Amino acid sequence: MAFGFGNLWRRKTKTILTILGVIIGTTAIVIMISLGIGMNENFRRELENMGSLNLIDVHMPYRGPGMMERGGPIKNARLDDKALAEFRKLEGVEAVTPIAQDYMRFAAGKYVTDISVIGMDTAVMDKFDFKIDKGRNLLPGDTTAVVFGSQAPTLFYNPKSRNFYGMGGSNPVNLISDKLLLTMNHQYGERRQSSSGDDSKPLKVYKVKGVGVLQQSNDEKDYSAYMDIKSLEKIIAEGRKMQRQQGVGDFSPGQGYQQAKVKVKDIQDVQRIQQHIKDMGFECFSLSDILKSMQETALGIQALLGGIGAISLLVAALGITNTMIMSIYERTREIGVMKVLGANLNDIRKLFLLEAGMIGFLGGLLGIGFSYGISYLLNYAGLSFIQFMGPVGEGSRMSVIPAWLSAAAVVFAAVVGLVSGFYPARRAMRLSALEAIRTE
Amino acid sequence: MFILDEQIAYNSGEGLAIANIIELKDVRKVYRVGNEKVVALDSINLTIEEGAFCCFLGTSGSGKSTLLNLMAGLEKPTKGQIVIKGSRIERMSEQELALFRQKHVGFIFQSFNLLPALNAVENVCLPLTFRGVSKEIREARARKMLKDVGLETHYRHRPSQMSGGQQQRVGIARAFIGKPGIVFADEPTGNLDSKTTMEVMKLITGIARQNGQTLILVTHDLGIARYADRVIHILDGNIEKIEENSGNVGVNQ
Ligand SMILES: Nc1ncnc2c1ncn2[C@@H]1O[C@H](COP(=O)(O)OP(=O)(O)OP(=O)(O)O)[C@@H](O)[C@H]1O
Ligand SMILES: [Mg+2]
Repeated sequence: MAFGFGNLWRRKTKTILTILGVIIGTTAIVIMISLGIGMNENFRRELENMGSLNLIDVHMPYRGPGMMERGGPIKNARLDDKALAEFRKLEGVEAVTPIAQDYMRFAAGKYVTDISVIGMDTAVMDKFDFKIDKGRNLLPGDTTAVVFGSQAPTLFYNPKSRNFYGMGGSNPVNLISDKLLLTMNHQYGERRQSSSGDDSKPLKVYKVKGVGVLQQSNDEKDYSAYMDIKSLEKIIAEGRKMQRQQGVGDFSPGQGYQQAKVKVKDIQDVQRIQQHIKDMGFECFSLSDILKSMQETALGIQALLGGIGAISLLVAALGITNTMIMSIYERTREIGVMKVLGANLNDIRKLFLLEAGMIGFLGGLLGIGFSYGISYLLNYAGLSFIQFMGPVGEGSRMSVIPAWLSAAAVVFAAVVGLVSGFYPARRAMRLSALEAIRTE
Repeated sequence: MFILDEQIAYNSGEGLAIANIIELKDVRKVYRVGNEKVVALDSINLTIEEGAFCCFLGTSGSGKSTLLNLMAGLEKPTKGQIVIKGSRIERMSEQELALFRQKHVGFIFQSFNLLPALNAVENVCLPLTFRGVSKEIREARARKMLKDVGLETHYRHRPSQMSGGQQQRVGIARAFIGKPGIVFADEPTGNLDSKTTMEVMKLITGIARQNGQTLILVTHDLGIARYADRVIHILDGNIEKIEENSGNVGVNQ
């Protein structure tokens, strides 16, 4: 009915003040929630910088002394091909690879470097976010092929040169074309071999072939080299055997793999699959663990912030109710006249609910606009303040208002308006027509 | 919202069959003020036939307004029956009464009671708005009604921009726009000067007679009572006497 608007307009000041209350309430809630969302997003971005969120690292369970007494895992879990096959069968798992790792020396001509060599299943390498910059990725059947992290070429140095950490600038080696050697002997290629005994057999040196260099990823991948796990394990086993004969190190074969990585298709499934693998008796770790606890924290803060916002909207709701009740007092006569002229209860109720809903809706709409403004200011001006307290990643925002939040806020404000109008509408309905029109 | 067929609402065929549009049987109304009882109406028995113009005359506090409000369904009697158009309105629920008023009752107030936010046309429209008549139709009807009461130059005026007489004309247009079977008027000229009173009375009686509508009017002004077919004298909550005004009855036919 048209005169709903007429009335809102007629009582401009009161209406505007009431709407202002809703604006403040809506803005408070939206900004508070947007801060929570912004916080979540920043956590996520930070973690994504640390690595992929859909990877699970699986280890053999820790079996130190006292474990049994504490009722630890009795299951004799072993990280072998059988276990890996079981991981692959879990729903939502995209790929599984065993991981072996050792610190080894590469030599290219007179240049050498000691870096972490990681062995994995070459067949699934492309599934684990290895993006090739030069050359190619590892393929099934590659036994001596090696893929290097982006920073590996810069790590080579000439041990015989005086300033071997010299900031040479240009890379002295081309890892793809140069002849490469791999050894566990960390003195290989150096002038003096400070080996304990000259009688010992030197550690073996293997010919390998560099086939690719990875894109920069800003994590430990940049400083690693990758090859087929079978070949790597052979090298490690031979090396350990040699070292044991020399009385160094302890290596007991037949324990399965050191480690495995599981890639999950959907981040949502990570926790479930991780729990599954834990139940099989393995130790698991994923970045989503951190994300989860961070999100829980964020949720708590969000609830607190949202609660503060909700209180201000509640106050606004009381404001609407108050305005509507005042309006009933002022319009007692009008309501009575309308009743005498045949307005039924529904008409009266609709009139008041519409008015209250309108106040809520308008307040919500303007509140959203206002929120976007404040959010912009926070992101623009507030960010420098946060940076003051600690570094922030690029593109991070303090306050994020997704479309669903603005839509929900407007709907919520309108509903709050309607609910606030409910009691006044009932009062108006109950008003006796006669009381109203009785001549003064 | 429902659209009511205007012709049916007005003629309402059965209205002709029931000679007595209003029947009051032993109607009593007692107000309780604190511990005291105020007998506003003692025992009223009365029938009014369709198309009549009845005037209730009495001193202040005699119970005229109370009686009118009871007949309009704005209040329930303490005792007795009120039959209007064959329906026991004292038994109706508030919702039913609203519908009943929409269909059958027009109301003219002493203090005009126009809605201040609405202009003349919108005010006249109101009863049709509640019936759910579409905007074009009701506004066209409202303009016609306003023209009939001589306000064709004041369609867009708000109540505050009109004189008392003009406001009451708007009130009259509003009471008659729905072509109700009965129009109630509680001292419609109480706030007007004598010249305007005559004009307004002529308007009300003219329209009611033209359409054969029943008109129930409350006044304490003998001059106004002269317009009526029948004058019902009220004294202390009872009917003192009923005067037939033969001169006017002829005009009515
Ligand atoms: N709501 C009420 N509560 C208590 N007493 C009432 C109420 N309404 C009316 N009365 C009493 O009923 C009696 C009749 O009142 P009513 O309004 O019908 O008089 P009236 O004839 O219309 O008088 P007037 O010419 O002054 O309008 C009065 O004594 C009045 O005090
Ligand atoms: Mg009175």
